[in-house]
Amino acid sequence: MSESSKKSVNNLPSSEDVCIEVRDLRLFYAENEALHGINLDIPKHKVSAFIGPSGCGKSTLLRCFNRMNDLVDNVRIEGSIEIDGHNIYDPKVNVADLRRRVGMVFQKPNPFPKTIYENVAYGLRIQGVNGRRKLDEAVEKALKGAALWDEVKDRLQSSAMGLSGGQQQRLVIARAIAIEPEVLLLDEPASALDPISTLKIEELIYELKDTYTILIVTHNMQQAARVSDYTAFLYMGDLIEFDATNTIFTNPSKKKTEDYITGRYG
Amino acid sequence: MNITSSKGDLFANNSKRQKWRMLNDKLAAWVVSLGGLSVIVAITLIFFYLLMVVFPLFESAEIKKLQTYSVPSAQAGDSIHYILDEQGKIGIRFTGTGKAISFYADTGKVIDEKQLVESPVTSFATAEVSSGIIAYGLEDGSAVVVKAGFTVNYTENEKIITPKYEYILGEEPIEIFTGGEAINHLTLQKNEESLILVSINPANTVRISSFEFEESMFDDEVSFEKTDYDVETLNYNPTKILIDNTQRMIFVFDEKDSVYFYDISDKDDVQLFERKSLVESGGKITDIKFAAGSFSILVGYDNGRIAQWFPVRDENNKYSLTFVREFAESNSPVVNIASEFFRKGFISINEKGELGIHHLTAHKTLLQQNIDSGKVTYLAISPRANHFIAESDDGTIQYWHITNEYPEISITSLWNKVWYEGYAEPEYIWQSSSASNEFEPKFSLVPLSFGTLKAAFYAMLVAMPLAILGAIYTAYFMSPKLRQTVKPTIEIMEALPTVILGFLAGLWFAPFLETHMPGVFSVVFLLPVFILLFAYVWYKLPHSLVGWVPEGWQPILLLPVIIFFVWVSIEVSPLLESALFGGNLPNWLNNEMGIGYDQRNAMVVGFAMGFAIIPTIFSIAEDAIFSVPKHLTTGSLALGATPWQTLIRVVILTASPGIFSAVMIGFGRAVGETMIVLMATGNTPVLDFSFFEGMRTFSANIAVEMPESEVGSTHYRVLFLAALILFMFTFMFNTIAEVVRQHLRSKYSSL
Repeated sequence: MSESSKKSVNNLPSSEDVCIEVRDLRLFYAENEALHGINLDIPKHKVSAFIGPSGCGKSTLLRCFNRMNDLVDNVRIEGSIEIDGHNIYDPKVNVADLRRRVGMVFQKPNPFPKTIYENVAYGLRIQGVNGRRKLDEAVEKALKGAALWDEVKDRLQSSAMGLSGGQQQRLVIARAIAIEPEVLLLDEPASALDPISTLKIEELIYELKDTYTILIVTHNMQQAARVSDYTAFLYMGDLIEFDATNTIFTNPSKKKTEDYITGRYG
Repeated sequence: MNITSSKGDLFANNSKRQKWRMLNDKLAAWVVSLGGLSVIVAITLIFFYLLMVVFPLFESAEIKKLQTYSVPSAQAGDSIHYILDEQGKIGIRFTGTGKAISFYADTGKVIDEKQLVESPVTSFATAEVSSGIIAYGLEDGSAVVVKAGFTVNYTENEKIITPKYEYILGEEPIEIFTGGEAINHLTLQKNEESLILVSINPANTVRISSFEFEESMFDDEVSFEKTDYDVETLNYNPTKILIDNTQRMIFVFDEKDSVYFYDISDKDDVQLFERKSLVESGGKITDIKFAAGSFSILVGYDNGRIAQWFPVRDENNKYSLTFVREFAESNSPVVNIASEFFRKGFISINEKGELGIHHLTAHKTLLQQNIDSGKVTYLAISPRANHFIAESDDGTIQYWHITNEYPEISITSLWNKVWYEGYAEPEYIWQSSSASNEFEPKFSLVPLSFGTLKAAFYAMLVAMPLAILGAIYTAYFMSPKLRQTVKPTIEIMEALPTVILGFLAGLWFAPFLETHMPGVFSVVFLLPVFILLFAYVWYKLPHSLVGWVPEGWQPILLLPVIIFFVWVSIEVSPLLESALFGGNLPNWLNNEMGIGYDQRNAMVVGFAMGFAIIPTIFSIAEDAIFSVPKHLTTGSLALGATPWQTLIRVVILTASPGIFSAVMIGFGRAVGETMIVLMATGNTPVLDFSFFEGMRTFSANIAVEMPESEVGSTHYRVLFLAALILFMFTFMFNTIAEVVRQHLRSKYSSL
């Protein structure tokens, strides 16, 4: 198994800088092993999509990158994940600091019950940034980055709860990028949205990849095909195949991948 | 209906069930609306019932003329005094010729005439109005004291009231001035043991005659012993003399409208306290009367004012006659004042014929009405203050009915400082009843409102931090398994009857606190420090040593720590007390710091009532915090916030409407709570915020006094007023709380 994973790591062209190195990652929920030794190199400033049937472990894997799994009781992790050469599971790592560098957007838009401005400024405020001008600039930049500025610039002080679902999701993305993370984890960011909002999110992802290393979990294979540069296929806690998206969708090297792509299961 | 057959079948099949469902639906809607409506109706009815009972307190007085007739037996001489019986049915007219003419007050028909004294009368005085005792000073220097009253007999369902005259010092006039000089002025007061008569002769000699009664063991005969004391001859011309009901002070008024105020407590050494002008603010005196209780002096002036004066004791224990308040509804000269018998009220009439009904404590004029009489010469009020007669100089008597049930209550007497008789300055006092008839009821609601808020404040001071912090920990940090045990345990505390808490607080905790105060204080202030210290040490210990405790179970470790600390605190308490506070902290506070200590104090109430409201606040706040959506917490954590930052900036903010309403409901409970405050506060209505002093709350006051208040009395209605205030207070509080909560909810509502 690990041999095949190594192969997919090798599939990464040498021209790509590696941002995240996953080595022999095993994750247990109590005694159940949910991830069986994942090995993966994720390229920098590219969009990598995780696809696979429900329960395959793609969201669990995504949550390993900012240690959100720590919040779940009885989770045990073996192996290592190195981001820019630092093992994030080292006991000395400050988790809050890690999460600042690895932003995350969830499936369901989760703006705080605060104003639009305060939502975006939240990440900065908890870092201790309180200067009005600094915050103003950061908020504007983040909202522009999330393609939401034009829609909300006149009502920054109104509640974020008044925004539509798609706007809320972009606001959450703005909130995540306001603290300028290196990696952005998107956990099915468009699955709760209507097609137009989905399209906007996808356009946004496309624009963001110049600046951030983006990992996206999605159910929607068309979406993966549209937005990602690389795609990983997971099945039953194993990484089956990781390759350029084009290759995965047109000429997968594994039968399981092909079966999934062509809709035989999932 | 024009529908296809298959669709028709579909409807037909379901029609019965459909109807049944519709009916059920309607029925449910009805039952629910009925329930809701009846709650609203019940609350409204309670409100209006309370309002109905309270309303008469604020009504003004009414008078109704019943009859006018000519003065009975006018030929028997001019009137010097009138009295009426309890019911206001029979009156007695006393004349300057020593006659007493009784008559039916409603018709003026004479019942009988009696010659009370034979010799020519030169002066006349009345003792305390309710006693009916009068005294005649005679031309030959002797005096006669008569108690005029009424006896009631029942024959054949009829009540027969007959006048009764009793010579208190015997029918024979008592010789006061041996030289045969007439008695020009006199005054008297009688109590159980003695009677004091003060007389002045034309030479301005003042003589105090004291009569000590001795009751015979064998029969009803009362014998007395007379002692005379001479006071120096006055160097001014007296016009009137009065003695107070304690028989210790006399007031002599002169023709310049000044008063000379003497201390006669030592009759061998009578002291002049002071001379005071009563006309400094203008006018001339027209009438002087004691108010009920013979303590306050009512002075009527020719500019229409009526002023109340009474002796006030200063720091040096010296009395001074002090102006207290005045009534100035008209500028027509006051002609006559008549005091009520058992209340601090009086009626007055002025030259224009305007009758005023006033009350001293309430500082309120309940009525000012012209009664179309001529110049009124005498005014008399019945003991129940529901009838009065007014004799005019045209030889007629008007007989009136008064409706004036609740004169004691005004906004002033309820909420402002009132200068009560015998007090050095205006104060807020609640003292609704006492043994004495002359007692002035003190109905200030300020001490009670204050006590209510004070009790609630101290209870909240204890309960709020513990309950809210506990709720935060339980909902946010505690392991779910432990939470499943802790939450129901605390909630079950709410079911504890408050009477048990009050009982424990009053009979166990209050004495315990008094004897172990340093220990209790060290628990309150040092236990949190000690817990933090322990937590810090625990945090610093190597993981191998502490790893066996699963995450979220650490609070269990605190139990032995807390028990140990409390035990040590209580054990060292006596040592601490003897080392630092001379063995007795309450005494030390009292003597060294000048802080009064009450065994049942605000601290006891704070702990006991705090304990009672912790479950309420905890339960609601915990629910609110626990129901903050997980995706908000994870969203915050994913942005790099620490759990603490997440708690402060997201969780508490989102839960704030719930926490707010938890606090409000807890506060509402603390305000309305009765049993604990009743048993643990000492129920002293004092205005002192010190937590070493007790208090009396509205609810406890109602519980204490309602059983002993006469139904329909002023006291009874004031208690209802307290209930109404409590009701409105909680209603307003809940309304404000709900508005704020809705506002917060709309602001911080989450998905």
